[in-house]
Amino acid sequence: MLRVDAQDKARLIDPLFQAGPRFWLAVAALTAILGWGGLMYVRQVSEGLAVTGMNRPVYWGIYIVNFIFLIGVSMAGTVITAVLYLTGVNWRRPITRIAEATTVFGLMIAGLQVIVDMGRPDRMLSMFIYGRVQSPLLWDVASLTMYLLTSMFALYVSLMPDLGILRDVLPEDAPRWRRTLYTFLALGWRGNREQWRRLERVTRVVSVLIIPIGISLHTVTSWILSTTLQPGWHSTILGPYFVVGAIFSGIALLFILVTIARQASSLKFYVEPKHYRNLGWLFITMSIAWFYFTYTEHLTLVAGQDLIEFPLLASKLWGKDALTFWGMALLMMLAAYVLISPLLFPHRWAAAPFFRPRVTLAAAASSGIALALALLPQTQAIVAGPTTPSLTMALLGTAGALALAAGVSALAWLKRHVATAAVIASIAVVVGMWLERWNIIVPTVTHPRLIAWTIYAPTLTEWSLTAASAALFILMLLVFFKLFPIVSLWEVAEGRIVDEAQARIAIPLPPESTPPRWQRFGIRRKLQ
Amino acid sequence: MNFPLDNLFFRFLYWFVNTPGLGGLGVAFIVIVCLGSFAAALRWIARGALADETATYAYPTSAFHDHS
Repeated sequence: MLRVDAQDKARLIDPLFQAGPRFWLAVAALTAILGWGGLMYVRQVSEGLAVTGMNRPVYWGIYIVNFIFLIGVSMAGTVITAVLYLTGVNWRRPITRIAEATTVFGLMIAGLQVIVDMGRPDRMLSMFIYGRVQSPLLWDVASLTMYLLTSMFALYVSLMPDLGILRDVLPEDAPRWRRTLYTFLALGWRGNREQWRRLERVTRVVSVLIIPIGISLHTVTSWILSTTLQPGWHSTILGPYFVVGAIFSGIALLFILVTIARQASSLKFYVEPKHYRNLGWLFITMSIAWFYFTYTEHLTLVAGQDLIEFPLLASKLWGKDALTFWGMALLMMLAAYVLISPLLFPHRWAAAPFFRPRVTLAAAASSGIALALALLPQTQAIVAGPTTPSLTMALLGTAGALALAAGVSALAWLKRHVATAAVIASIAVVVGMWLERWNIIVPTVTHPRLIAWTIYAPTLTEWSLTAASAALFILMLLVFFKLFPIVSLWEVAEGRIVDEAQARIAIPLPPESTPPRWQRFGIRRKLQ
Repeated sequence: MNFPLDNLFFRFLYWFVNTPGLGGLGVAFIVIVCLGSFAAALRWIARGALADETATYAYPTSAFHDHS
């Protein structure tokens, strides 16, 4: 019989058998959204894709944006589970299960987006009956299938020892079906030395395999676009750009999910500020890489001066797609600012009155008022006169300066609240990355070759199915973590032992050597 | 220069990438290989329980490898 730490049991196993009103309320709300989405889908299937905003030549819309976005966020599991496992990073342990589950459910919902986008779901079979090896769509199906199966396997293998523990320490009053479920899924897990050795060997092999498979999925998804001759897509940079974006958005979603779980469950005992700080460094690296790739992607459009491609760039920079493009850029800049600036902020400045939250709130509110005065037509009429461009510009400038002041005065608070800062940055990145996927798909399909331009706006059906997809993703996570521990019991127990052992080791200082000052500057004695 | 379709190798490649249904077979092959190898790996782990060892552990440590 396997034993578990009493505190771990109280924090991670007992809550699996207690579902409060908050849980059921969340399930009911998500099921309602899902039900509404189901109705809209039935309507879409019966009436056809005419109920969506898609039409010739806009064959791809919000569903494919969601597909690429969800494929991207699924990279979280690969990074956390495989890369950090192989490099022996100890702090990964409490967040591996959430990362793995995010990957699996994200990929499932991503696959659904393709089926929804097809209009006729039965046509999916044509992909297998008539699919040719030359088709990038088929490569994506192959890659997605392989990644999903491998991720599910990785999740299951890491869950096996926990299933054995759950089977053995189940409360007396636990439902019978749960006992049957855990016993069946544990596959007779005993936890003897040979079994642990085999499990670790399999985990290592899967971790090595899942990295190239994950990279293949993200690059193959980009090939669907780049193997066409459509403006903005026919570029080799899309592959690495997608991989960087995937890691970036994956970590962002992981930050958000971990924080929600930390507030709602006992995860706060396992996830500490050091997790936010460590993941934050990775986040900053990805942020810089993302800015570089975004710049490079658009640089080739500017430098090429191609008659077909330039209208696309113009549409993004100052045309009808400018709102989503600059919205994405601003959100990413906000994320980078929130992550990087507190690191550069000196501690001793925090005592200055300017760096108090009330100053931040006052500056932010004033900025909002100035922006409203500048933009809202009703307010403009009241203020008599600001319709003149100079006054509007002055109000916009004031709003910008006040927003900047709010950002600077918030630095001390952001430095103190590492987790909150990471979540603010993550929300900005998740929304920004969704907009980035939109900016890759929609401007191109509305500016295709041979046709001057067209417009695309998602309909209620598309927004409803997008909301239903998000609801299904959250519902799957919610139900999964009501059945299985949110933190890997055996991994945190192992990590605790490793930490304790490391704490007992007294590492001696290196031998002292204090060369004379003149020697440090390479001056030899005979020169004196 | 024309595409060398008189070469048997290139004729095979042309047939391979252009024949409908071969892609579907490829996906089916990937699924079968993945599921087969994962099932075999799970069976291998599960059968590790049959080893002649009485002690069981709720979690591993590197000592399993260092002092075996």
